[in-house]
Amino acid sequence: MAVTQRARTYGDLVVDDPREFRVHGSIYTDPQVFQEEMDRIFEGTWVYVGHESELPAPGDYKTVLVGRQPLIVARHEDGRIYALYNRCRHRGAVVCREERGHSNFFRCRYHNWVYANNGALIGMAQASGYPEDLDRSRYGLVPAARLASYRGLLFVNLSPTGPSLEEHLEPVRKYVDYWFGRSPSERIQVILPPHRYEYPGNWKLQAENGFDGYHGNYVHLSWQRVLQLSKESTVEEVQQYRQEGCVRGLRNGHGLLERPGSLNPASSWTARMMHRYPEYAEAMRKRFDDAQLMEISARRNIFVFPNLYLFDTHIRVIVPKAVDRTEVQLYVYALEDVPEAINRSRYRGHERFYGPAGFGAPDDIEVFTEVQTGLAATGDPWNLLHRGQHRERVMDGEVIGHTTDEAPQRSFYREWKRVMSQA
Amino acid sequence: MLSVAEAEQFLVAEARLLDERRFEEWEALFTEDGVYWVPMDPDRDPTDSVSIIYDDRKRLHERVYRLTKTPVLDQNPPSRTVRLVANVEVEPGDGPGEQRVRCNQLIAEMRPGGPGQAGLNSPRWLAARCEYRLRRVDGRWRIAWKKVVLLDSDRAQYNLSFIP
Repeated sequence: MAVTQRARTYGDLVVDDPREFRVHGSIYTDPQVFQEEMDRIFEGTWVYVGHESELPAPGDYKTVLVGRQPLIVARHEDGRIYALYNRCRHRGAVVCREERGHSNFFRCRYHNWVYANNGALIGMAQASGYPEDLDRSRYGLVPAARLASYRGLLFVNLSPTGPSLEEHLEPVRKYVDYWFGRSPSERIQVILPPHRYEYPGNWKLQAENGFDGYHGNYVHLSWQRVLQLSKESTVEEVQQYRQEGCVRGLRNGHGLLERPGSLNPASSWTARMMHRYPEYAEAMRKRFDDAQLMEISARRNIFVFPNLYLFDTHIRVIVPKAVDRTEVQLYVYALEDVPEAINRSRYRGHERFYGPAGFGAPDDIEVFTEVQTGLAATGDPWNLLHRGQHRERVMDGEVIGHTTDEAPQRSFYREWKRVMSQA
Repeated sequence: MLSVAEAEQFLVAEARLLDERRFEEWEALFTEDGVYWVPMDPDRDPTDSVSIIYDDRKRLHERVYRLTKTPVLDQNPPSRTVRLVANVEVEPGDGPGEQRVRCNQLIAEMRPGGPGQAGLNSPRWLAARCEYRLRRVDGRWRIAWKKVVLLDSDRAQYNLSFIP
């Protein structure tokens, strides 16, 4: 199917039927859909690229792929962060091969063109081969059209047009704020290196799973048995917990899975830590009132369209590599200004469930590969996402559903369809 | 002090337990304070960073229990593995009855499945530098500490739930 035809048919691939919301299997398997996702979503909207704590000092940098395009994100001497296309202006070689590091400049190894870490062209080998009045300011590394930060979360947009980051994040912002609130100074520090796993499946399988409250009792029954072994919770208790809370489908493609907050140490992690560590409780009570603590102690998996999840232990970044190949990076973070023991127990808890050898995440990955395989069978090519459509309610622009319902998935695909249908 | 040949015999026997999925016998090789560590960055303190695996004996027991007694998806179908143990070196231990041993391992892994199944049927190779601290307990050598540094420890990994 040709591109021009496809552009007219995205409306048919995501069917927003009020009784049977469904998506066509080809959105996970068609290489042409993938290329257009890269064009329109990953290279045309706000994409998460990292947290400022990864680049604490001037000269620190990391390299990333935004869609298919290599970029450098670097902190310059002026203290500001720049996002630059990783391509020498002379003959096109990358000027940085490392994943992350510290450098005062980026040098192209082909003909020694040298750039400052704000992108300015500093010099080149045998400069006498160019006129003396060469305007070097025309030949700096090209900056991304837009780079913006929300409380240290860095986003790049390769398109100069469309909503601001503030507008994009508005529907999810208060939940991001609560997420930071488990630190009494509302700050986090990313711990490097990240967990990284790769699976032979489409990136959207990870996007639609992180806020899925329906699969836990089946995919993670094994995990529930481990918790029972260690006498932390019985399978029945965990299954009861998984019925509590809600899902929220938000505007702009965001969404979340939420477990209710509580000030009772038996019922929430935050309250338990406050009970165990009086200095943490004191700092939290100084910063927040009870109503805020109720919200902060709610456990949420927060999805920010299109490639970011905020979890209680980590920042999850989805990196699409091909229509059937995806890398996922889990950046565990420390909560700042909390007792060291709290963070250490968070790291051990994270390792226990997540990462390529955790007791939970590999079971999710296994299911993604099962979906990717099954989608090759096209007798009926539709995937159903209408669970809970008949019982969801709308409040303040949020679509709220039972914890096992697919309201956030529907929000995700409505935004996907909107962006993909733009010419 | 172990000879290289004796150390090799121990490591080959350990590899065989894993290849034959005799996980409970493998777990019993560890001392009560045993540690099994698969780092991402082998130079970082594992307590203040994040590892692929950082198991104390309790966590190790959970890992083996999960593999043998619970309905896991990621090991159903189970991995087949073939491990080669080479470049064995012995070094003095950290205390009486202790011994340090190093080796390199090459682990071939494959999960069999039906035709066209993504993630199954393709053998892959993992290369690792391994370090052991062995301790003599009741006349037997046991593992007090095992560190497995994968060649691509800080790159993206597919399912490592089979115990690398």
